[in-house]
Amino acid sequence: MIPDRIDLTWIALIGLALATLLVPPLVARPLLGNALLLTFAALKGRRIVLDFLDLRAAPALWRGLVSAWVLVVVLFAWLASAIVALV
Amino acid sequence: MIWVLIFSELAAFGLFLGAFMVARAIHPAVFASGQATLDSHLAGLNTLVLVTSGWAAARATASARASQRQTARRWLFGAMALGTLFIAIKLFEYAGEIALGNGLETSPFFTLYFLLTGFHLLHVGLGIVILAVVSRGANVTGVETGAAFWHMVDLLWIVMFPIIYLVQQ
Repeated sequence: MIPDRIDLTWIALIGLALATLLVPPLVARPLLGNALLLTFAALKGRRIVLDFLDLRAAPALWRGLVSAWVLVVVLFAWLASAIVALV
Repeated sequence: MIWVLIFSELAAFGLFLGAFMVARAIHPAVFASGQATLDSHLAGLNTLVLVTSGWAAARATASARASQRQTARRWLFGAMALGTLFIAIKLFEYAGEIALGNGLETSPFFTLYFLLTGFHLLHVGLGIVILAVVSRGANVTGVETGAAFWHMVDLLWIVMFPIIYLVQQ
């Protein structure tokens, strides 16, 4: 059986989830570690939005709203942690 | 209709996560010590379980669109089984945290932790019920609707997991 987009997305999500677990023990600097963790979360979110929720072919408004939600939450999380680290 | 529900849920969880992040910025030491007692490996395992469950739900949608109702039903059962496993792992994790003496009123971290993850866990349970209902007919619209809710639950966990368990101060 040839893997299709759904299977490839699942493989990518598993890979990103495992990479996420490796960040805390391997990256000691919080600012960089948090940036990596949240970037992985945004990438996983994007794959779920486009390929599992199947919004790739949906109107740009729907796709944009859900993608924006992911981006806003992870950016806010990184900024909040960065402010605490820098203050 | 399902999209109204999905956007409402995303907005509610977004605000809730925002409150968590603001509270962490105000009480960094309390949140760091609370986070240190969590089992991020169990939560990581649950991420793999839920992502795989989302894959099964996406396969169910593809099967329903190809008019393969029986196959769609089997994929939905797989998604529900993995959802049930997620709940079992989460309850096991809660039991460990409660055994350590942590509860809703232990600290601002644990109040928000239990509310956020508990609210999400309720959605996993509701998602399983929705998947069970749509699996009876396994028609395209029903499976698409149930799977969309399930993927939202998956998406919420993907964002919640690093923020609650892994982001460092």
